[in-house]
Amino acid sequence: MDLNFFQNLATGFGAAASLKNISFGLIGCLVGTLIGVLPGIGPIATIAMLLPITFGLDPLASLIMLAGIYYGAQYGGSTTSILVSMPGEASSIVTCIDGHQMARQGRAGAALAVAALGSFFAGCVSTVFVAAFGPPLAAVAQQFNSPDYFSLMVLGLVTAVVLAHGSVIKAVGMVLVGLLFGLVGTDVNSGVTRYTFGISELWDGIDFLPLVIGTFGIVEIINNLEQGALPHPAAATRFRELWPSREDFRQSWRAVLRGTGLGSILGILPGGGAVLASFASYTVEKKVAKDPSRFGKGAIEGVAGPESANNAAAQTSFIPLLTLGLPSNAVMALMMGAMIIQGIQPGAAVMTKRPDLFWGLVASMWIGNAMLLVINLPLIGLWVRLLATPYRFLYPAILLFCVIGVYATNPSIAQLVLTAFFAVFGYILTRFGCEPAPMVLGFILGPLMEENLRRALVISRGDPMVFIERPISAALLAITAIIVALTVLPQIQKTREKAFQE
Amino acid sequence: MFRVKNPQDLGASIAFMLIGLAGLYFGKELTFGSASRMGPGFFPTWLNVLILAIGVAIGLKALAIEGPGVEPFQVRPILFIVAAILIFGYLINVIGLALSAMLMTVFSACARRGVKMTETALLGAGLALFSVIVFVYVLGQAVPAWWGR
Repeated sequence: MDLNFFQNLATGFGAAASLKNISFGLIGCLVGTLIGVLPGIGPIATIAMLLPITFGLDPLASLIMLAGIYYGAQYGGSTTSILVSMPGEASSIVTCIDGHQMARQGRAGAALAVAALGSFFAGCVSTVFVAAFGPPLAAVAQQFNSPDYFSLMVLGLVTAVVLAHGSVIKAVGMVLVGLLFGLVGTDVNSGVTRYTFGISELWDGIDFLPLVIGTFGIVEIINNLEQGALPHPAAATRFRELWPSREDFRQSWRAVLRGTGLGSILGILPGGGAVLASFASYTVEKKVAKDPSRFGKGAIEGVAGPESANNAAAQTSFIPLLTLGLPSNAVMALMMGAMIIQGIQPGAAVMTKRPDLFWGLVASMWIGNAMLLVINLPLIGLWVRLLATPYRFLYPAILLFCVIGVYATNPSIAQLVLTAFFAVFGYILTRFGCEPAPMVLGFILGPLMEENLRRALVISRGDPMVFIERPISAALLAITAIIVALTVLPQIQKTREKAFQE
Repeated sequence: MFRVKNPQDLGASIAFMLIGLAGLYFGKELTFGSASRMGPGFFPTWLNVLILAIGVAIGLKALAIEGPGVEPFQVRPILFIVAAILIFGYLINVIGLALSAMLMTVFSACARRGVKMTETALLGAGLALFSVIVFVYVLGQAVPAWWGR
């Protein structure tokens, strides 16, 4: 760690710590928690819904606000998991197991506080992690050429698919469908319009917002409506005290440390991220515990570990996005979409051309985490009351804000028709067991992949061997092949299924 | 005869095959080009062929391995939610944000059974007021507030 490291962090805090940026971060955290705490709405849907409100800001402020929304949404998801056992998304499923048991024993306050404190600690460590590993990775990324980028995207998409839950082959299909949607519009190279069906609104391609709000926000509303009555927290939760006891601290600090380490590393992997980290951490905690039978009955380590891990991973998963321009999961794809809308092409160039932006974002991660702690612990009571709002009042409001968001960003009826189309499309495919998250990854990467493939093949005069002849590309493809081979092997497939069932 | 062992997979298979075929059909005018000079049709064609292949593979799997059934599609929520979105889109420039927000609330509330109309109307009025204040006055979005432009 050299002097530069501290200089860079100072630049970042200098850029991020203006009153304006901090207040946008604060608003982001608050609104993110507010929406994320609503049952059945996960971070992806939350970010998708709140994206439009960040568009009017300057790039740094909007990224800071988005990061705030992300952390807030994730924390909100943990709150719902603990209080009503309704995870908004996969990364808080494991928190439900022991967190909700703790809530039933009247220890909801301790569970929430440990989740917040663990997340904060993990956030601090992983911010340093991002600051330390970002620049060297970006230096590596500058050696990359078109064939390498193409192979990198293949690797990223394949690992994302393998590590996602659910059927691998369906996820591959969804990635490809996403890539196809990404190609709609005018082909930059030939000027020919593709799949626009003569609709002029599609000439610039499908907008990001209708796609994500349709497939995540609105599909979730429809699914929740089908499930009928949603559980209420009042029945299950009693608050005795907020602050965890000394005993709780003693039991959980090691879990927090392990979770942070595990999460920081797993977050960097393409396709990794919060989900994998929280599952892995829970498994580890159960393995190392002296008395594993306590798990599932309200073991505090089962909350502390996964919650720290998913927050650490949530942050380090920014590394591939900011250095390689490769989103490793659906949330990062949303971040990338937001950056592109702001006129920033994520990648190594951001660090050299806009250091204030890169380091500002890194600093804002820490600020965001600190805010979560400061605002959420006192506000837990408020979130609990919000949770008690009947869904019949909530969903028309959510739907309305989604629609206004889409329309205000691009006032055209075509946007709303597209939103409705993607809602129906996403609904049908989820019914057939196809998750929409891989599709968003593909959608974002579609144009980039085509462009890099084209350039690579132009350089090699049409010889596909170029992908194997260049060492970086060959190495990336070899890793991809190994990962594919591993998943196909029956033994590994069994453990994978087992891991996701637990 | 074949027996479908996994209806969910069969549905996914049909969906993917339809997407692949539609992609090929609507993209048939696009020049394919060659690997060294990729035309606009090169990448989409490969994608569609792969999507089609995946559809076929999932279809075969559906015939071979047992799996879950498809839960019945519920028409009511989808119908009303989609209607609410489209009504909002078509009317906002005619009757403004406040009224279309109210109308939208009523439609989306109908996605559930047993709607209470007074309650919904109150909710709609509240949401209309809130969204006009927040989106038009605070955030300054270019949306007509009280009546069309």
